[in-house]
Amino acid sequence: MRKILVIQEDIVILKIIERLVSLNGFDCKAIRSLEALSIEDQQTNFEFIITDILFEGIAPLQFIAQVQEVIPHKNLLIVTNMGQDKIKQEIFALQGITGFYAVPIDLDEIEAIIQAY
Amino acid sequence: MNEARILLFIAIVFLVLVIYWISITISLIYRNRRTSRLNKIENTFADIVSRYLYNDPVNPITLNEITARLKNVGIRPKNKNNIQFLIRLMIRTQRTILGSNFTKLQQLYTQIPPYGVSIKKISSWSWYRKARGIREIYEMNQSQYFEEIFKYRNDKNIYVRREAQIALVVFLGWESLRFLPYLERNMTLWQQIKIVEKLYDLYPKPELKWLHKAYKTEKLFGKKLLMRIIRKYLLHGEVDYIIDNLNHEDYEVRETAIYCIQTFAVPLSTMAYIKELYDEIPNATQQGQLLTYIFENSDIDLDFYLKQLYSDNDELKLSVAEILWNNGYKEKVQEFYYQQYPNSVLNVG
Repeated sequence: MRKILVIQEDIVILKIIERLVSLNGFDCKAIRSLEALSIEDQQTNFEFIITDILFEGIAPLQFIAQVQEVIPHKNLLIVTNMGQDKIKQEIFALQGITGFYAVPIDLDEIEAIIQAY
Repeated sequence: MNEARILLFIAIVFLVLVIYWISITISLIYRNRRTSRLNKIENTFADIVSRYLYNDPVNPITLNEITARLKNVGIRPKNKNNIQFLIRLMIRTQRTILGSNFTKLQQLYTQIPPYGVSIKKISSWSWYRKARGIREIYEMNQSQYFEEIFKYRNDKNIYVRREAQIALVVFLGWESLRFLPYLERNMTLWQQIKIVEKLYDLYPKPELKWLHKAYKTEKLFGKKLLMRIIRKYLLHGEVDYIIDNLNHEDYEVRETAIYCIQTFAVPLSTMAYIKELYDEIPNATQQGQLLTYIFENSDIDLDFYLKQLYSDNDELKLSVAEILWNNGYKEKVQEFYYQQYPNSVLNVG
């Protein structure tokens, strides 16, 4: 089964995206921080990683670099409260970012991306 | 100090320490339990919302199940702190979602129990609780309480009437502007900005008929608010309202008009009218601001600038001279300078 990893500190957004992903036929691993990631997860090649960028103790760009380095994946979607233009520009300047969604988000857009995959 | 006194002193200190330790222990236990309770509520609410938004046809979530689960985690009429926490969660969640799910979420909110906690706050004697109650109601879009909130639009407390006026905007949109002429108390700059931003977020399509009706307002804060709305929505067709207020007798209305006009470029004929109004502005600083706008948005009108250069207003002469000097009219500035001094003083014969 195809797998998606969701990393969101906000439990409500985490659960909603987890549900969205599961109902679209993906196997979903939903965690609130990278610390909850197991060794097995780090060896799984995820179809999508849907992640926030704001976590305690790490800068947003560093966090993305860490995710890209540690977890094998095909697509990386950012869903975050930090929607400032500057952050958005910096994120898109990085390689390998599939999409950037700032809160408030229309979940139908994320669903459309997943369904189209 | 004898031995008995020392022992008594030690016993008292020990007793105080014991009481202190016990209170710390009780506090830690309470906090631990409270955090655990709040986590339970948050997890349950997250699960309910996710299942409601993406309902599984095989195992659909029902309203009875939702109510029962919330009750089980402590959302009961007697647990007011829990209900307040749930309301905060509801508002936070609503702010994160757009589109069809936002509508679904609002449907859910009309069915689950905050037990009318927010509306009860409105009858509180405390202005803080009252304002918070109004805010919760409009944040959760509980329009059934609109009538209750409406009467606080002129409340003597600035925070209560501020929230009530924002609620009007949230529930009525552009139509709320028809109440503007009837507001009795002053509206601060901060309040004006909040109203404009809320209107823009929720009702991005302008409805000019309400704006035109609101033009009748004689209230100074009303005029300022309308000009800010025109600026925010870039309503080029309504710029005349801003221009008409450029020479208003009130300093702050003029200040707002000058600030708002800077967003717009105007045709030559309108610029000519603005130049006429320029002379009627009684404050040199504001004239200077308008002069900058005129300079940045029109070609050099030599007659206009020379008139200002030879006028009595010393504060503006330097700005006018600078504009002329930097735009190919150095000789005009020199001429103005030399004519101020007789030839004998300049030693030129």
